[in-house]
Amino acid sequence: MTDLDFLKLSKPAKIMYRCRQFFVNLPKNFVGWLKGIGQFFVRLFTGIGANLKDIVTTFREGDWKTRLSYLVMGFGSFARGQWGRGLLFFLFQTVFNVYMFMPNAEYSGCFYLGKLSTLGTVPTQKIKRVTVYGDNSFFILLYGILTIFFIIAFLYTWRLNVKQNKLAEQVLKAGKPLKRTKDDLRSLADEQFHKTLLALPTLGVAVFTILPILFMILVAFTNFDREHQPPSNLFTWVGWSNFNQLLSTDTASYGNTFRQVLFWTLVWAFFATFLNYFLGMLVAIMINKKGIKLKKVWRTILVMTIAIPQFVSLLYVSKMFAADGLINGTLMRWGWIKEPLPFWTNATWARVTIICINVWIGIPYLMLIATGILMNIPADLYESARIDGANAFQMYQKITLPYMLFVTGPYLLTSFTGNINNFNVIFLLSGGKPLSMELSGNAGYTDLLITWLYKMTVNDTNYKLAAVMGILVFVVTAVINLVVYNMIPSVKNEEDFQ
Amino acid sequence: MKKLLSLVLAVAMLLSMTAFAGAEEPIQIKIWVAEATVDFTAQQVEAFKAANPDYANIEVKIEPVGEGDAAGNMITDVEAGADIFGFAQDQLARLVAAGALEEVEPGNAEKVKAENDAGSVAAVTLGETMYAYPMTSDNGYFLYYDKSVVTDPSTLEGILDQCRAAGKNFYMEINSGWYQTAFFFGAGCTLTFDSNDAGDLIAMHADYASDKGVTALKAMIATAAHPAFQNGSSVSNATNIGAIVDGTWDAAAAKEVFGENYAATKLPTVAGFQLGGFGGFKMLGVKPQIDEAKLAACDALAAWLTSEEVQIARYNAVGWGPSNLVAQQNEAVQADVALSALASQLAFCQPQGQYPGDYWSLATALGDDIIADKLDNADDAKLLETLQKFQDTCEGYLSK
Repeated sequence: MTDLDFLKLSKPAKIMYRCRQFFVNLPKNFVGWLKGIGQFFVRLFTGIGANLKDIVTTFREGDWKTRLSYLVMGFGSFARGQWGRGLLFFLFQTVFNVYMFMPNAEYSGCFYLGKLSTLGTVPTQKIKRVTVYGDNSFFILLYGILTIFFIIAFLYTWRLNVKQNKLAEQVLKAGKPLKRTKDDLRSLADEQFHKTLLALPTLGVAVFTILPILFMILVAFTNFDREHQPPSNLFTWVGWSNFNQLLSTDTASYGNTFRQVLFWTLVWAFFATFLNYFLGMLVAIMINKKGIKLKKVWRTILVMTIAIPQFVSLLYVSKMFAADGLINGTLMRWGWIKEPLPFWTNATWARVTIICINVWIGIPYLMLIATGILMNIPADLYESARIDGANAFQMYQKITLPYMLFVTGPYLLTSFTGNINNFNVIFLLSGGKPLSMELSGNAGYTDLLITWLYKMTVNDTNYKLAAVMGILVFVVTAVINLVVYNMIPSVKNEEDFQ
Repeated sequence: MKKLLSLVLAVAMLLSMTAFAGAEEPIQIKIWVAEATVDFTAQQVEAFKAANPDYANIEVKIEPVGEGDAAGNMITDVEAGADIFGFAQDQLARLVAAGALEEVEPGNAEKVKAENDAGSVAAVTLGETMYAYPMTSDNGYFLYYDKSVVTDPSTLEGILDQCRAAGKNFYMEINSGWYQTAFFFGAGCTLTFDSNDAGDLIAMHADYASDKGVTALKAMIATAAHPAFQNGSSVSNATNIGAIVDGTWDAAAAKEVFGENYAATKLPTVAGFQLGGFGGFKMLGVKPQIDEAKLAACDALAAWLTSEEVQIARYNAVGWGPSNLVAQQNEAVQADVALSALASQLAFCQPQGQYPGDYWSLATALGDDIIADKLDNADDAKLLETLQKFQDTCEGYLSK
């Protein structure tokens, strides 16, 4: 299909075409992706090879200062008068050596690294009535990862140290002066200022984000649960069996329940996002309309729902809809119903109730966003449309909606992702209930993946399955995000509204 | 410069010497008890120190952590948890399995066995090993009711109809594994688990999937379908309340709601059988210690806090019913309306043993299915099938 053919298509046909193209291109893209990975490894290994070669030639051609630096990091820098760099290299090596080969072997890097493959073998013992704790699998896993990080950092620094020597030799050979410590410090505040600024954040991200994520991913491959809990019990590696338990369909596994919960999570995210989006926009348009009086009052009333903390409002609303709550009580007193409506006890009712209540708390946000954007749409567009004889719905469909979608496309995507992980609303309203004998793993009919994960960690101490679930939640959101991101107009037709 | 250095060194040396002089560091003990008993516990700890000069140097820190949270917190992080903590007996196996409970000192164990009621002793024992000190014997449920609404509390059907006639609600939390047993045990079913000394559940004895189980389940379905029925067990969360199945902890709230018409009695009969249930207990546990002196201090303190005098004092301070046999004969305890209602109900109850954590969720699932009317039109075969599934799932919770 040529570009011209494509432009002739109607809007839905265009979307259909894009969707089809996405799946048609999927194999090709997948192969491309695999190729990319292959190339990455090729580059990685050639890179390592080149580095090794460079290390050897530097040693062969270098002077004795350089050669000694291979053993004592920073020696070359010291000997050539760059004492600042030398000191840093030397300090790093000392700290590394002390950590790895500490005399108190219990806590050295080597200890943790050595135990990483088994996660500990020494059980906790009782000597008479006193407890002597054995290996702590939790710390072995945590510090094991940390040690690997540290070793990688050391190798990198060691390589840097070798490079520095080579560089210094070249500079001296050329008859130029070497950078002194004073120059280094000055450059850190000047042309290398980015490194100064980013040093702390990078370290923070590594320690507080990457390390825990890596830790949790690895927990998914262990049997860390309530029967294998440090410090009294050891846990160990079990491979893919946790994934098997969560995904396979035999009766002892959670496969059916997982699919049920995943299905509801996606349905919920869809309605929570789009229902709120369109209703919020509708409310904004209505309030924006010329001739509506007390605009500010309407907006304030709606925004009040934002002002009250969800903990208060949702818990209250949840009680209101209970079998003995305000709504059922009132309806029964009026004689409209004989028995309380099963808002929270029947699965379908509970799901619909949650979606409706979420509309109530979601609309105000959308109304605020939409109000701002609606005011931005050039009024002459509407004017010319009106002259051409377009009715209100046509104007909405051809002007307002495309404009809104263009501006709020990325927002829609993030809010969809946010709703997949919308813990607060579900947990405070229903707590995942009602449960049923037809579901396993203590999941309820209104549980999202994320609230189920919460129950697993907090109530059941089932960290291994929770870790698997965390990975699966990531996979689900990542796939949806990638697919949708490549289809939203803000990305596809960047120039449309500029 | 040199002078300054020597001064610093001298001061450092002096400091380290004083540190050595005070080498007998005080033993620090952290206690978790329910918020209502924090002040009471603090008083009793002082009394303990006064009575035991050997332990006068212990430093005790008391934090308010409810019985429900205490077990969860201990399991999440044993090392940061309290040295002595209060919890309810359903958590015992879980705590032992997680390595969060030390055995009761053998000398104390003999004494505990002799002085407390049989149910509470069974509740703190796994296999042959005693793991905690019984503190109360009042974790059970019975019927609170409004005398002006319910004139005859002898049958559940009658209570429901009387509530209905007065436009009031009858509350019972039938989607809780705890309250549910009133029906099953009352109809003659059993559901118990055997545990070994390490806290692993190794065997199950159950006959829910039987004619008796079907009778109980039918009674539950009929109760849940009655218009006056509401699922719940907290007086403060109930509206328009005529009668409620609840425990002693809600006695004050019930007194306030019912006013002059406050009354309490054993559970009624339903479909011709007497409702049964669990008799439950609260206990104090000691965490495994790496220091012998501290362990001895913890043992002594826990034994003190669960002794006869302290149990009576605890009843007078916060109204918790004692597990100590002598304390149970105390006049004030005997005169308590709620406690004597519980006492008459306990005759039909079984002491609550160990249940797997997942049992409680499974029972909630069964209860939710009943409330959601999923079983309303089921025939006996279908009900039996449901109970069989319940029983099989329970068996699946056993340690492998």
